[in-house]
Amino acid sequence: MLRLQASILAASLAALVATPALAGGPLVIKVGRAETATKGVIEHAVILVEDGKIVAIGEDLPVERGLPVIDRPEWTVVPGLVSAYTRIGQDSEGGDDMSPDVRSRDELWPKSPDLRKVVEYGVTTLGIYPAGNGIPGLGVAIRPLGDTVDELVLKDPTYLKIVMRADSASKKRIKDGFKKADEHAEKVKKAKEKWDKDQEKKAPKKEEPKKEEVKKDDEKKDAEKKMAQGGEEPEAAQEPKPDAKDKDKKPEFVPPAPDAKSRSFVELREKKLRALVSISGAAEYLHWLDALGKESINFDMRIVLNQDSDVFYVFDKKTFDLDVDGIGDRKIHAVVEPLLTFTPNTRRVRNLPLELSRAGAKVCFTPRSDDLPNYKAWLGHVGELVGAGLAHDDALRALTIQPAELLGVADRVGSLEKGKDANFVFLDGNPFEPATRIQAVMLDGKFVYGEVDQ
Amino acid sequence: MIGLESMRRLATGLALCAIALPAWSQDPPAPAEEGKDAGDAKKDDAKDDEPERWFAIVGGDVHTGTGEVLRAATLLARNGKIHSIGYDLYIPPDTKTVDAKGYRVYPGLVAISSQGLLGNATSDFDDTMDPFNYRMILGLATGITTTGAGSGAVKLKRFAVGGAVLNQKIFATFSWSNSNPRGKGELREKMKAAAQYLREYREWQRKVKEEKELPEPNKRGVDNSVLAVLQGEQTAKFVANDRDELLGIARLAQEYNFRPVIEGCMEGWTVADELGRAGARAIITARARRPKDERQVLAGGASIENAAMLHKAGVPVAIKPANEGIDLSGLVGRDIMHLPLEVGFAIRGELPDKAALESITIVPARILGVSNRVGSLEVGKDCDAIVTDGDVLHYKTFVQWTVVDGKVVYDKEKELYFAHIRPRPEAPAPKKIDAGETPPKDEPAAEEKPADEKKDGDEKKGEEKKDGEKKDG
Amino acid sequence: MVAICTIPAVRAAFFALAGAVVSCALSSCASSRSADLSPLAPGQPGVAIRCGRVLTVDEDDRVIERGLILVRDGRIAYVGPDRAIPAGYPVADFPDAWAAPGLVELHSHIHGGDINDMVLPVNADLRASSALVPANSAIKRACAGGVTTLFGIPGSGTSMGGFGIVYKAKTHATFESCVVRNPGGLKVAQSYNPERRAGDLGATRAGLSWILEQYNEDARAANREGTSTVGLENLQRVHSRELPVLIHSAGSDGYPAAARMWQVDNKTRAVLSHGCFDAHLTAPWLVGTGAALNVGPREIDFTTTRDGRITGTAARYLEAGARDLSLNTDSPVVPQEELFLQGAVAARYGADAYTMLRAVTIAPARVFGLDDRVGSLEVGKDADVVLRSGDPLDPRSRVECVYIDGQVEYDRRQAGQWF
Repeated sequence: MLRLQASILAASLAALVATPALAGGPLVIKVGRAETATKGVIEHAVILVEDGKIVAIGEDLPVERGLPVIDRPEWTVVPGLVSAYTRIGQDSEGGDDMSPDVRSRDELWPKSPDLRKVVEYGVTTLGIYPAGNGIPGLGVAIRPLGDTVDELVLKDPTYLKIVMRADSASKKRIKDGFKKADEHAEKVKKAKEKWDKDQEKKAPKKEEPKKEEVKKDDEKKDAEKKMAQGGEEPEAAQEPKPDAKDKDKKPEFVPPAPDAKSRSFVELREKKLRALVSISGAAEYLHWLDALGKESINFDMRIVLNQDSDVFYVFDKKTFDLDVDGIGDRKIHAVVEPLLTFTPNTRRVRNLPLELSRAGAKVCFTPRSDDLPNYKAWLGHVGELVGAGLAHDDALRALTIQPAELLGVADRVGSLEKGKDANFVFLDGNPFEPATRIQAVMLDGKFVYGEVDQ
Repeated sequence: MIGLESMRRLATGLALCAIALPAWSQDPPAPAEEGKDAGDAKKDDAKDDEPERWFAIVGGDVHTGTGEVLRAATLLARNGKIHSIGYDLYIPPDTKTVDAKGYRVYPGLVAISSQGLLGNATSDFDDTMDPFNYRMILGLATGITTTGAGSGAVKLKRFAVGGAVLNQKIFATFSWSNSNPRGKGELREKMKAAAQYLREYREWQRKVKEEKELPEPNKRGVDNSVLAVLQGEQTAKFVANDRDELLGIARLAQEYNFRPVIEGCMEGWTVADELGRAGARAIITARARRPKDERQVLAGGASIENAAMLHKAGVPVAIKPANEGIDLSGLVGRDIMHLPLEVGFAIRGELPDKAALESITIVPARILGVSNRVGSLEVGKDCDAIVTDGDVLHYKTFVQWTVVDGKVVYDKEKELYFAHIRPRPEAPAPKKIDAGETPPKDEPAAEEKPADEKKDGDEKKGEEKKDGEKKDG
Repeated sequence: MVAICTIPAVRAAFFALAGAVVSCALSSCASSRSADLSPLAPGQPGVAIRCGRVLTVDEDDRVIERGLILVRDGRIAYVGPDRAIPAGYPVADFPDAWAAPGLVELHSHIHGGDINDMVLPVNADLRASSALVPANSAIKRACAGGVTTLFGIPGSGTSMGGFGIVYKAKTHATFESCVVRNPGGLKVAQSYNPERRAGDLGATRAGLSWILEQYNEDARAANREGTSTVGLENLQRVHSRELPVLIHSAGSDGYPAAARMWQVDNKTRAVLSHGCFDAHLTAPWLVGTGAALNVGPREIDFTTTRDGRITGTAARYLEAGARDLSLNTDSPVVPQEELFLQGAVAARYGADAYTMLRAVTIAPARVFGLDDRVGSLEVGKDADVVLRSGDPLDPRSRVECVYIDGQVEYDRRQAGQWF
């Protein structure tokens, strides 16, 4: 297999070298260790980067002579970090509590200095969520560097943010949202009926010669006469004509597009969009499910951890004999701060991200708060949880591939795999050791931080 | 004395047993053929495909809350409702059970009111209650399974929201206070107007059958709450303590024919007969303290005998502690967590034991309008029960398990709060005998004793030993 | 045999010793003073109290079924099994009642009047006795709750509040007829309360401790020199161990600090009062100092220790081996008549119930040097007898009758039920 890869490498390089050397020209990176997040660890890793993508990655791949090589055997490389739930660099404020149509994309400011800064801390993908309470709108996934909004955006929208609190207003908003979707469905149904009728109106002309029943033909003729006279819809048109559909190739029915206020909930129902539901306690999870009722949608959770968080009660159904599936049972993504908490009312330490992960949830870390100091300390904070029992690999995935999945950009970022964007964080050791420092950061094949000599 | 008492209990037990037996002796749980339950079963099954959920509390002394005690009996619940109580019941396979041998089983307690057990929720409980908050756990640890909340009743359904609210709006609260004489007059006027309207309305109802065109009486100016009370749809609740106030409420109630609920009722004992005649119900704090107003010649002030005297006069008494919330500041014995202790003070004032238990079970359930579901252990009611290591009104007694809707929602050993205090002995495992140890001789004899006395005996033995050790040291 | 009473079986049964000790009680009478069974002279005050059960709370923890207590001149002349009553005694019959010693409270503020003089941080020559209102309404209720002896003390507003007074909870009394000892002992407050608002120097714990040490040093110096310093006479008596000192203190910081100053360093007869919050964490060390502990009014800790357990503080001190542990109400923080309830809740949260009965009777009497007169039912002691319908710690037990110094001070049948 190695050889195969190597030959591919050679072949592709041959092709590439022929092309004019662009900014994204081929580059070979050799490091002591690559933690891929999805495919385990590669010692003595060699990564070929071209056009901002990973062209090949493997252990001790042979490198074609003449290619630029960066050789850092003392380094460890991990995928660029993905912060899936953040407002860093954004400064707009939330408005109406019921704004499922608001798009975070519309507030992006590419020149934000904070975006440039987080890159230095290893962050190469950000999921911006909309500001505000209630249902504040739709998130967007971005790369932190670029001159225009279009250069920034990776995916839009990512998720609909829903803030769930234990109050009647929260439930009402969700019910109202689906009511809007109902109204839209009703509109679609009516449009379809109308369209069907229109089709039937057109149909008789073509079908006329084939009609066998005289009586019906007569009716048709009457109807046509009426129509010709500018009369009302002919009664006969309402009768079903099964054979008409089969015979003729009809234009497709195009349902009316949902209006801005209903679109998000329509798409939730159609499972084209996921919800990210923010809760801060176990009760709110149950209230969320209660509000959801029989609606079937895809959702992930944002769990705001605080010192006395009691969310562990809803991690799985079994432990506390819940009537419903827990967060872990659903195998969904859960965005949490890297924070050790207490069992409520005690000083008994809990590692809730670890518990979540064990219960089956896909943990996604977000910095303890949305400011630069906490971004800077992000890896260290996750390291504290690793020290308290969280598995190294789980911690890495919770910073990379899992948040990438949450944002729907896992096909591009979040792991070190062939074909993915060349987003790397180079470190001088284990990413979760306190003494380890970030040496360099690469975004889309370009070094955006760190002094790197070839 | 002991013989008579236990014979009476035994007889009751046998009677109940006899009722339970025929259904069971004929067919083990084939719900479709179970007479009374059959309809429910079908309905349930039709409603959703939830499989049957059986639950049993086995071998405890069941205090049904209606006066009967069934020694070493079994309480069986199906889908959260009490299915049967008795002896030699068929326990279907996969029944979750609690081994209550040597323990007592009581109905879940009903707190007439409380603060914080449902979280920070104060209204819209279905949307706002927090079934994970520690105060709910401590409420369940006290044995409370239903609480008055807002103007309704809510179950302490731990780990679940929805379906917990039993009753939304039972109370219409009015003021009748010496400090607001005008308010008294206004309420009387409202009563008068509503009564007048009701008379006219009923008249109209009778006549309209013949005279179709007869206009419906005008409802304008009629107070809806007062009307609801006079129509029996809501219960009038007053907070009043003074003798005069209580008398005024009693008169008003008799005049307009409604049964008031009076919270506070500190001087109720001075006018107990009047309150009894008016059909009043009282919510009192047994230890309420209030000096007599020395300007008054007549008796007054709070009395420890208040509960007993009201009860004697036919006023159903519900008891609440001075502090309706959970108090963990260290000053113990005055909050909702010590509700049974408060009842102890009513017994001190000579409230009979049965009425004392009822003051935190069936009486508050009736006042809250939910006695069809909770407040006693009877077939068909919700399986809300507690298993205690002794008399529920004894100061040392702890609730070991609390059951709501046929589900264990509190287990003393599984929560940090009280597990360290007199830990529950493990279910008796076969005793290992070391080489030098003689086999126990007195164990079979101990088993023959009634569970109640056996437990006492064991406890005594333990304490003797402890004391002996101390002396040696 | 205890199980004969069916309904109160549990109520009765907790008394571990009840069944066990009866036999030895019948055979031996361990009292140091011998019973006086001579007839009562005409006009001599006395009464024969017959009752269902006597809890003597004496050295042997004797429990006597169908007991008899003879009272002569306000003192107990006989306590033991029912027997022929000597001539001349009027008989009071309580066939179903339990007799127990009147309860003893060491931390009480219901004697009357203001309890804090907030001018100076140290008030070594103030006396609570100036404020005593004998037989006031709170004292009457206390009596109806079975409390018969109290140490009425200044508050904890200043670091040395002054000297308290030991008196009896008589419902009809003059100063002279109810006072047992005046001054009864010193009251010191060392953590939390006095730090809030006391005088200019004593606004912090450090300042307060320094001032107290200055006073202690002066008193010790005067004792060494055999002189008497004006204003320090009573404090000198504390340092010569003639009078006890009750120190308000709590927390794992303050409680051991109080023990260090008064028990370890100054070697006074220290009684450490409160011991609340997380002070129980230091229980083994405290017990090691030999200081007497007087626990309450808070009997549980949850919010300070935060280990998830609701901890009975008295239970923790007992586990550490505390002897003569007593309980208090700090009345009116907890109503004085509910002193027994402090015992009940301490038992609920892990302490042994019988030990808690001792903690409100003989233990406080002993640590305050009052055990020659009160705290147990023994020949020669004050006839402070409380008759109840059952277990003295159970709220359900009614107080039927209270004798103090042999006089009926409360009789439910006569006066109605006060509590």
